[in-house]
Amino acid sequence: MIEYSEKERRMVLKLVYYGPALSGKTTNLLQLHDLLTRQGRGELMVLDTTGDRTIYFDLLPFFLTAPSGLKIKVKAYTVPGQVCHDATRKAVLQRADGVVFVADSNPAETQSNFASFDNLERNLELVGLDIENIPLVIQFNKRDLPQVIPEGEIRGTWDPTGIPVVMASALNGAGVAQTFGILAGLVYDRIDARYQLLQGHGLTREQFVQQLTSLKEEP
Amino acid sequence: MSAETLEFLVGEEKNLRELLLDSDVLPLLKGALQAGAGAARVVADDGEELWGESAEGGRGELLARHPILLEGEPVARLELFGAQGDRERLAPLASLLCVALDTVLRNNLKRVLTTEIHTSVVNSSHEELLRMNAELAGSEARYRELAENLEVRVRERGAELKRAQARLLQQEKMAAIGQLAAGVAHEINNPLGFITSNLHTLQKYMARSCAMLQFYREHLKLQQPLENLIADAEVKWRELKLSQVLADVGDLMAESLAGAERVSRIVADLKGFSHVDEAGESPVDLNQELERTLGVLSHLLSGRAEVVKELQPLPPVTCQGQLPGQIFLNLVQNALTHAGDSPRITLSSCFDGERIRISIADNGPGVPAALRGQIFEPFFTTLPVGSGTGMGLAVVWEAVLRLKGTIAVADAPGGGADFIITIPTGKE
Repeated sequence: MIEYSEKERRMVLKLVYYGPALSGKTTNLLQLHDLLTRQGRGELMVLDTTGDRTIYFDLLPFFLTAPSGLKIKVKAYTVPGQVCHDATRKAVLQRADGVVFVADSNPAETQSNFASFDNLERNLELVGLDIENIPLVIQFNKRDLPQVIPEGEIRGTWDPTGIPVVMASALNGAGVAQTFGILAGLVYDRIDARYQLLQGHGLTREQFVQQLTSLKEEP
Repeated sequence: MSAETLEFLVGEEKNLRELLLDSDVLPLLKGALQAGAGAARVVADDGEELWGESAEGGRGELLARHPILLEGEPVARLELFGAQGDRERLAPLASLLCVALDTVLRNNLKRVLTTEIHTSVVNSSHEELLRMNAELAGSEARYRELAENLEVRVRERGAELKRAQARLLQQEKMAAIGQLAAGVAHEINNPLGFITSNLHTLQKYMARSCAMLQFYREHLKLQQPLENLIADAEVKWRELKLSQVLADVGDLMAESLAGAERVSRIVADLKGFSHVDEAGESPVDLNQELERTLGVLSHLLSGRAEVVKELQPLPPVTCQGQLPGQIFLNLVQNALTHAGDSPRITLSSCFDGERIRISIADNGPGVPAALRGQIFEPFFTTLPVGSGTGMGLAVVWEAVLRLKGTIAVADAPGGGADFIITIPTGKE
């Protein structure tokens, strides 16, 4: 958690999109920005890029107010996927409340997925977070590719771990809001008890998730 | 995050004052006044006026109010005042103003975030480099220490090895002397055996002679007729077999004397070979040393090996007397070991005016070219484990070195090994 102030009645949460280079982390945020209603959502901030590759991070902020008046800001970040930007990844990962791991469904990228997940595990430890406890959703992106790792194989690998897995095609918007919604729910579960979201602030899980993921009404 | 630690957290909240400068906001508000507004101001959520501009003639009524969003959160509002009649004209201006402020705000936020993350990454990379540098310096120190210790250790081991080698060379010499002693003892035992046996026989002969003399002495006292005495004496003479005894005594004496001479010759050879009486250096005739070596090895050579000598006169060499013997003894023994069932050893010596050249050749299998560099090294042996110490030729090498000479091995004519020793004479 970035910030919690009882006096100011403010809570700032951080969600991070992690994953190998070119797996579609920024595309996820772009699609969220386009899919979700303007209400309570800030503008997508894409920090300088070189040739469409993230070098620092992207930020999509959300803002909602609990019935009690508690202001909750949720900031969704992407990290740069390229191996060389590890210091930036660590900086962005600091105090994260939840992580989406965007994996590439291309079978040729299996090794990169492994390496990046390994990197996530190590960096979480370095910034004092525990991969066993942090809310984590795995998104297998690029399901629209002609050749993908079969879903059965993916489920066989990940279902035993209890980590939710979402099949997505971020480019077409498929699975993007679902991924974000699942993570929001997990984050709510994790912080509710401690911060009394329901008891003290009257904010239900459904409200929290719904406010973060309400889709634009089709014009 | 405290400023002291210089730590930076991505996502830390910013307030409007941090992101917008007076120079960003005030010109926009002034612009609104010029366009006819009575007042324009930015008010924080808690009601505090952050920026404001008013016209001289009073601000008029509130015509428009727009929220200012920071990361989606309404943090302040823009308020535009003016005459009620200008509402239609000023309301769009307020929207325009709001869009302008929002754009400036977002650009500033982007710049601040970029700068912060950049600085943080550079700092952390720098810290990482410093840490790596410290680690490398640490490990370098460790390796250096290790390297230094290693050198000391290697030196210690080297010295230890040298000592062990010297000890083994000494042992080899002692072993050679031991073997020699055993051989020589056998050589001496032989004549000593028959001398002793001869002396026993002579003792018996002496007893019979004494018995004969006693007979004469007693019978002469009886004063018998001479014929009787002669006849009795003849019987006694035959009885004692004194004819054979007298015939044998000469041979026994001569044989024993020859045996004794042989013993004294062996002892002389051994004395000469070992140079026990000489301390320090003395002139030595190498041909004589070769002969002495053959002498002390006679128990191994006689009847078993053929020895061919082609010795030419040599000038004396000044050296420690036992060195040549060590060389020749080991080489001849080596030749005997390797030369097979009917060994032939050829010893030759010559002098070309500067150097003495001595060759000891055998008719064995010879030394393969590939091994010639190794055979003089300590512990090198072609014999099965336990049969040879591998120190014999090392002893030779060391002794030749002390004579300031060189030794090499070549193929002997007709096969076999030919050890060639070259020794400079004292003239150089």
